[in-house]
Amino acid sequence: MYDASHSDSDVVSREYKISARGVDVFYGDNHAIKEVTADFDDKTVTAFIGPSGCGKSTFLRCINRMNDTIASARVMGEILVDGEDIYDPQVDPVQLRARVGMVFQKPNPFPKSIFDNVAYGPKIHGMARGKAELQDVVESALRRGAIWDEVKDRLDEPGTGLSGGQQQRLCIARAVATEPEILLMDEPCSALDPIATAQIEELIDELRQNYSVVIVTHSMQQAARVSQKTAFFHLGNLVEYDDTGQIFTNPKDPRTESYITGRIG
Amino acid sequence: MTNNGMPQDLPIPARSLKSTNAHSRRRLRAEKCFRALGVSAMVTALLFLLLLVMSIVSNGLPAFKRTIMSVDFVLSQEQFEEAEAALLKTGVYSDFFTQSLVETIQALDIPIEVDQGTINRLLGKVGSILREHYRSNTDQLGQAVTFEIPMASRVDRYYKGTLSREGISSNNRFIRASDLDLADTLREAGLIRQTFNWQFLTGVDSSVDNPGGAGIGASVLGSFFMMLVVLVLSLPIGVAASIYLEEFAAKNWLTDFIEVNISNLAAVPSIVFGILGLAVFIQFMHLPQSAPLVGGLVLTLMTLPTIIISTRASLKAVPPSIRDAALAVGASKMQAVFHHVLPLAMPGILTGTIIGLAQALGETAPLLLIGMVGFVARYPDTILAGFEGPNSAIPAQIFNWASRSDAIFAEKAWGGIIILLLFLMSMNIVAVLLRRRFERRW
Ligand SMILES: Nc1ncnc2c1ncn2[C@@H]1O[C@H](COP(=O)(O)OP(=O)(O)O)[C@@H](O)[C@H]1O
Ligand SMILES: [Mg+2]
Repeated sequence: MYDASHSDSDVVSREYKISARGVDVFYGDNHAIKEVTADFDDKTVTAFIGPSGCGKSTFLRCINRMNDTIASARVMGEILVDGEDIYDPQVDPVQLRARVGMVFQKPNPFPKSIFDNVAYGPKIHGMARGKAELQDVVESALRRGAIWDEVKDRLDEPGTGLSGGQQQRLCIARAVATEPEILLMDEPCSALDPIATAQIEELIDELRQNYSVVIVTHSMQQAARVSQKTAFFHLGNLVEYDDTGQIFTNPKDPRTESYITGRIG
Repeated sequence: MTNNGMPQDLPIPARSLKSTNAHSRRRLRAEKCFRALGVSAMVTALLFLLLLVMSIVSNGLPAFKRTIMSVDFVLSQEQFEEAEAALLKTGVYSDFFTQSLVETIQALDIPIEVDQGTINRLLGKVGSILREHYRSNTDQLGQAVTFEIPMASRVDRYYKGTLSREGISSNNRFIRASDLDLADTLREAGLIRQTFNWQFLTGVDSSVDNPGGAGIGASVLGSFFMMLVVLVLSLPIGVAASIYLEEFAAKNWLTDFIEVNISNLAAVPSIVFGILGLAVFIQFMHLPQSAPLVGGLVLTLMTLPTIIISTRASLKAVPPSIRDAALAVGASKMQAVFHHVLPLAMPGILTGTIIGLAQALGETAPLLLIGMVGFVARYPDTILAGFEGPNSAIPAQIFNWASRSDAIFAEKAWGGIIILLLFLMSMNIVAVLLRRRFERRW
């Protein structure tokens, strides 16, 4: 049902949004991701689950090359976004990150006003000409972040003054303001209370209309609620990757089964 | 370790939260001891500070006062021309003045004999003050002008209480006890009084013939030019070096080595920088001696490690999540640093810079080696001369005064210390204010 928009004919020549081909990641001698190959669909929420330290965040960070900022990290293999290898030497990671947005575990708004938080990305990418246009961009991003109504009267106040859930939605708004095609989320709800979590989950469901979302989560319920596809990682291996319903009701690998029934992790 | 391994009939001690056992009593006692120790350490430190401040203030405040005699005086056109034609011009001026003053005093009906010698001993340098005034105000010739003439330094000290009558021997050629009688009478008549000593703030150093007139102004200017050099060089170099080391450079043995060496540089005695400056800037590069430019260069070397260390510490204190946030919306590394990290690190950087500058301002040893401790009798004429002309600096001037023999210079040295401390204090206040102003939470 998640690919209802695709007709049968393009299933054959299917273009994946993100394709990983034999990806290995090392932190020094620590082999954190082992030979991962997988394809991720557009306009789909894909969840990464697995025990702590299995490499979910590491693999997620490969997709927007945030691993470049870690001195000891080495990434091998290919990751294609829209068919282009993002680790090609000609690719500018800065441009890539404008197209692949990221939301972090702990909300990290800039210590600036709410407006400036959202406007920063569009500004540095020259996406708005003039103040009025910038205001429109900010408003539409805040709307997509489902936080416009709460902050529209206090855009000049510091983003750090918002509640945790609001901050996280502000960060999502900041990420979508640069018009990315892919949104990466690393445990975006782990620092939030249940109500804020529910709001974010609802938001993720809406974001699926326009973006392909990859979300790392510790909560299997959350994965089941928001995602259409689920990938289970264990000790750096991609153990199983399938439709979410399939993974939770009928896992093929015994390790997956142990994890979702709570025996490992 | 279960119950069946233990004897069941052990007497259970009656435990009340109000009773104390030996262990907790010991702990309480230790805590009390430590508190008492802490308080006494603090009190001792405060006492020393109080002692220091009190001695500085009591010794230094007299430098800001001076004793003057205000006298009405008329110089005629003929007298002016006569004086200007003479060989010892200021001497002639001062003769006219003392003659007139003797007459004024005699008219007051004072039972003390007054002659020109007495007046010369009582007053400081009169001639040059008069000449300067009349040469630029020729229209006032023939009119009564009120002059405020500084008293001789010994009279000044007499009224400040640092010279007693008994301390004057009969063969002292600078002052006699009887002169002080006259001074006392004139003080009662309102001719002699104490005023604020602007000369000390604006004046230049002076030699033994006019010790009371020595001022710290020129050395303040010297220090100012030096600090300008230090600020302009060490802030950009230090901040650029820190940003590069902290944010861009690969972490390897080379950067580790550089880091260790920068920390070590901060501990190098300042006189070492002085001799380095002498060897490199003066003997090798042939820059002028005693120049604030060279002093500034030497102090820059000294200040750089301080600025680099504090800048790196404040860059480190910016949470990495801010960098991640900026990079994740597609900012380049440089944009992330300059748009987000640097503004957050600014309060720390500025505080470090100001503290570095304050250290440099009070530094004396390196200045001795590059010759910035000489006698500076005039202000620089141009801004360029301010940088490369010979000058002194506040601490060097204090050192210089403290080593002179005339007792009035001791007072000047203490006064100089007050000025220096005022500068340091205002710099620290600026540091605190900047910190408050820029501080933001994240
Ligand atoms: N910055 C890093 N430097 C070195 N090792 C790291 C770093 N981040 C993660 N690792 C290692 O990589 C492995 C995977 O970590 P991570 O991707 O954070 O796991 P997860 O997100 O699934 O909990 C772990 O063994 C972890 O110790
Ligand atoms: Mg993680």
